[in-house]
Amino acid sequence: MRPEIAELQDAMERLGYIADPAITTALFLSREMRRPLLIEGDAGVGKTEIAKVLARLLETELIRLQCYEGLDVSTSLYEWNYQRQMLRLRIAEQDGGKTAEEIEDLIFGRSYLLERPLLRAITRREGPPVLLIDEIDRADDAFEAFLLEVLSDFQVTIPELGTIRAEHVPYVILTSNRTREIGDALRRRCLYLYIEHPSLDKEVRILRARVPEAGAVLAAEIGRFVQALRRRQLSKAPGVAETIDWAQALLHLHSAHLDRETVEQTLGCLLKDHHDLRELGPDALTADLADAVAAREETAAS
Amino acid sequence: MIPADLVHHLARFSRALREHGVAVSLSDEADGLEALTLVDVGDRDEVRRALSAALKIRPRDAAVFAELFALLWSSGAADPAAHRPPPPRVPDPLHGPSAPRRAPRPAAWPAGLVPAADVLPTGDEPGFSPEAVLRQKPFEELSAADLQAMERLLARLTLRLATRPSRRLVPTPGRGTIDLRRSFRKALAHGGEFLSLARRTRPIERARLVVLCDTSGSMDPYTRFLLTFVLALHRVARTSRSTEIFAFNTSLVRLTPSLRSLRPERIDLVLDKLAARVPDWSGGTRIGECLATFTHAYLDELVNGQTIVLILSDGLDRGDLTPLQGALRALQRRARRVLWLNPLAGDRRYEPTARAMAAALPYVDHLLPAHNLESLERLLPLLTA
Repeated sequence: MRPEIAELQDAMERLGYIADPAITTALFLSREMRRPLLIEGDAGVGKTEIAKVLARLLETELIRLQCYEGLDVSTSLYEWNYQRQMLRLRIAEQDGGKTAEEIEDLIFGRSYLLERPLLRAITRREGPPVLLIDEIDRADDAFEAFLLEVLSDFQVTIPELGTIRAEHVPYVILTSNRTREIGDALRRRCLYLYIEHPSLDKEVRILRARVPEAGAVLAAEIGRFVQALRRRQLSKAPGVAETIDWAQALLHLHSAHLDRETVEQTLGCLLKDHHDLRELGPDALTADLADAVAAREETAAS
Repeated sequence: MIPADLVHHLARFSRALREHGVAVSLSDEADGLEALTLVDVGDRDEVRRALSAALKIRPRDAAVFAELFALLWSSGAADPAAHRPPPPRVPDPLHGPSAPRRAPRPAAWPAGLVPAADVLPTGDEPGFSPEAVLRQKPFEELSAADLQAMERLLARLTLRLATRPSRRLVPTPGRGTIDLRRSFRKALAHGGEFLSLARRTRPIERARLVVLCDTSGSMDPYTRFLLTFVLALHRVARTSRSTEIFAFNTSLVRLTPSLRSLRPERIDLVLDKLAARVPDWSGGTRIGECLATFTHAYLDELVNGQTIVLILSDGLDRGDLTPLQGALRALQRRARRVLWLNPLAGDRRYEPTARAMAAALPYVDHLLPAHNLESLERLLPLLTA
């Protein structure tokens, strides 16, 4: 393994993100090759978190663009501050003595420009920021095509101002929940990473890092229980984010280990779907709990 | 510096991936090479991870990728020449040499079913129009000439397929919300006076369509017509990405990529080519397993709140019902609407008692007949909004 990749892994772990080599290798390559990284995976596996950790790691700003259907240039790139422009125009008229060109130069200056995330990401002067384009699958094809253009050249053209080139090429991370297939062209521009639900070992380590107040025993039990849940045919398998929420909920209830009553009360932290809750009937719950608790007995015995 | 043999090796590996239906482009390969220069090529796992990221391997191709990597990527990548790629062993319905080219024949024209002349209505019936007759004629009785007439009719019908408003705002000359940016631009031309306001509105957007077409033997008389209908829909859809077509019998095949590669020509020719790509055409059915395969591999990416899922099947299946119900439930939760077109439902006496059909019914928004053109016409409003 390249020492740099191992280093990256340690550094991320110090910041509380337990990454496996697949994640660090992709992140390392994206950083070295200066290519956007497209991360796909189920909800709650820690896609967005990667961008946050990367920003902290590089000690730079995280600029986030949350995508939604109908997202367009005026909300993602720039917009003129019309109200301010109009006021300035009226004042200039009253003062008089300015030519039309002077007025135009005035109101189409940078200070009348509202920078949206994409423009801010390429005009940041203090060094390259991390640009997180979150849930790109929620935006539509048209926006994807526009984004492709920005990500290829890192420059934008504003008719009134001219072309603005990136001061520093930002580190770009795109995430997708796969509610829509991302177009081939955009995919080609990026490096690609698919994050699976973590293994038991990794999940327990994540729990220990993120919820240190939960002891080793509770963390192992929680991990086992969640892993058993994921093996069932659920329509929304709980992600790591849910596991962490649940661990915190259990701590608030002062549970040192899993017992049936507490689990039943707090199951809503893990399963957020009526059908899934029903599907996991008493029998299944008993089986999964027994599975999780077996771990405790093993740990106690050893 | 990239050793030349590494370049060769990567090229060979990429070709093997392509042969197994994993889309790897030349630019992906270039990315792969660049990535290899950045990682420790002695560490096989690291090479695998790097290539997976650089070649953009999606989860559905992950298994093929892992298998080919194990086969073709020796641990000492420095000596790849020793490794001639062994014959690929991954099963692949479209390209895999392991799947014997059985030359599946498309469903033949129901040749003996050309209607006798005396069945055809004569011109002096009130309100007669050949089109009206065509609309009500059961598919089994259509002739090749009818099919062409039907294609034209379908093309016209499907043009009416307009649907719900989009969320994106576009300029409009009519009513809508005020577009400040353009209003301001226009005002500048008149010395800052807003003589008129520019407006934006939400345009009408077509639904995305996912079609799952049963090509088993019992569907033979209908398959061609239903697929003709679907292809006509595909033609009028604004972008090629808005319609996805799958065929299933004992296994599931995604037809959309084949559609894109075919030049626009007569629909019946396209159909022949498509049929040639579906293994086991006119064979048995395993609806449940096929739908489960679909939900597993494609549901996330192809079905969302704007998608209408169209299942064309007679529901004659003797398999296990659990996967069918699970798959339909997943579909219904995610799609805007799930429609099941059943040619048998055209008969007034039809009751959905076939086991699979009965099991599917609670998860289907509409069960519709699909035995003649009129029934398909009734379907059109459901494909909108």
